[in-house]
Amino acid sequence: MTTTLERKTVLPPSQHEFAEVVHRLEAGGAMLPDTPENLMQIIGLYKAYAIPMDFYWRDLLYIAERVFLDPVPAFKYFLPKEYLELENHYAGDNADLRIWRGYATAHKELLEFMEQGELKKKLPKLFHHLWHDRINMEFAEECMRAMLWHRNMGGLLEPYMDSEEYKQNCDRAIRAYFKYNPIMLGLYKLFPEMFYEQCRQATMTSVLGLFWEIMAPVFLEMSDIYDEGGFKGVPDAMNFLVNGIFAIAGRPIYHRVNIRGEWYDLVPKSKGFTWLYEAAFPYVEAVFYRTSPFRGTKSYNAQAKQIPADQNDFHYGVLYADKFPVGSAGIPPTLLHQDMFHFLPPYLVEYYQKFCRGKDDMLIQLGISFQRSMYCVTSAVIQAGRAAFLYPLDDPNPDHLRANRAYFEGQLNRFCRREYGINEAARLRFIQTQDYR
Amino acid sequence: MANIVEIAVSNDSFQTLVTAVKAANLVDALSSPGPFTVFAPVDSAFAKLPAGTITTLVQNIPQLTRILTYHVVAGKYKKADLLDKPRLTSLEGSELYINVNGTFEVNNATVIAADIEADNGVIHVIDTVILMRPHWFDGIMESGGYSFRK
Repeated sequence: MTTTLERKTVLPPSQHEFAEVVHRLEAGGAMLPDTPENLMQIIGLYKAYAIPMDFYWRDLLYIAERVFLDPVPAFKYFLPKEYLELENHYAGDNADLRIWRGYATAHKELLEFMEQGELKKKLPKLFHHLWHDRINMEFAEECMRAMLWHRNMGGLLEPYMDSEEYKQNCDRAIRAYFKYNPIMLGLYKLFPEMFYEQCRQATMTSVLGLFWEIMAPVFLEMSDIYDEGGFKGVPDAMNFLVNGIFAIAGRPIYHRVNIRGEWYDLVPKSKGFTWLYEAAFPYVEAVFYRTSPFRGTKSYNAQAKQIPADQNDFHYGVLYADKFPVGSAGIPPTLLHQDMFHFLPPYLVEYYQKFCRGKDDMLIQLGISFQRSMYCVTSAVIQAGRAAFLYPLDDPNPDHLRANRAYFEGQLNRFCRREYGINEAARLRFIQTQDYR
Repeated sequence: MANIVEIAVSNDSFQTLVTAVKAANLVDALSSPGPFTVFAPVDSAFAKLPAGTITTLVQNIPQLTRILTYHVVAGKYKKADLLDKPRLTSLEGSELYINVNGTFEVNNATVIAADIEADNGVIHVIDTVILMRPHWFDGIMESGGYSFRK
């Protein structure tokens, strides 16, 4: 069963390379075609993503708030009980605003996995960790680094992190954190900028944690709704995301550090930074579009201009990723695929066994389903942007519809640029059919 | 004559706006001599936002203040003053896109009542809550063949 999308014929047909996608967006659809197979894949992946994400956001906040500037953070992935029980601000009975059903504390499937891992044996945590039989936080940190490294991402947080006020906040926290460590305090005196940069990294860790705190219950609820037969098609799923983006747009983005029981604000809530402008938009840009060329089996020749000189032209995010396994945290990213592999719903396991090399290349197949699901999320961001900054899809004014069309075509142009083979890397054309798997 | 806040309070169409302005502690600022130009969304504009949007903002006052101050500009700009001003900088810091050719529009909102005079400025009533357009917005629109007057 698919949702029927009707396109009003006020404007002449688009002449864009992806005219069909433009018309679909104008009719309220997504970049991803509306088929039951696509819906099943994306929702299954949201579920498989949501559970490790429940770990990611908790651990990111733990690292940002407690580990902070630890020079040897060997146990930063060993999440203490306090953070497993940390209540989600937007899910559970005590939520500030209960928008989503979800759990307040860590998801039970996550806790089961943390207990026994893939080995299904209760061993000391350290063994699971060293065997990589765990949630791979390296992926989450790679996303954080992409957000930190790519500048010019919009929002007010980035200029704030270069301000005197931020440095003074850092200074207070650094002095308190290393109060009993004269060596580190001495180093701070010699190389203050290095310490500020580490603080910025911790701030971005907090930003990503606060961002994913929202996405984890959203994705889980989408899975629940699908299981109950609630979504009729891809546009329904996308619209659920659009409404979520609006509902949570004003959620505060901040960074605070707990040092010996006392909280220090590096980025206070009172700055007015928001989930939409200071976290979601920079995240989508840094992680979905840009990231960085991955270090693995593929070589790039920078002198031959295979890597853009301008970071704005980076195109190594999930929307352009070639999904072959290299075992890395960045693009493709195999470590995330491995995490999602543990939480696939049974219908997807069954589905993957029917295609390609069955179970043997499940990581690639799920990676491609993940790519489809992220095209759906990006569509939601594009549609939310259209609704927030432009006009309704059924606006009677043709000038407004022209503006909407320019916006959609401008967004799709990001997948059509010939420079650096961006058009060939983009997976938009691939996801239009089911034989890409 | 009444000031901007007094005019809004005395009009039934601005109940949500008045509640928000009070919650954000902006009453004193908007009652000060200014002058200000306020793009004031009517209640139905707030009602168009998806469920939860306002609640999240009301729970987080600095964030609410930021959105509200995007609707305010320092200085008094009547419609006729905006003919050669396609962009205004809001108190929030981001730009507002003004169009006075034909219909009077600010960003994606239409002005449904212009030039309401107040002691400390002027009010233009709008039909949609406006949100800051991100830095990439102009580039995307230009890439799609649409350019705004600057």
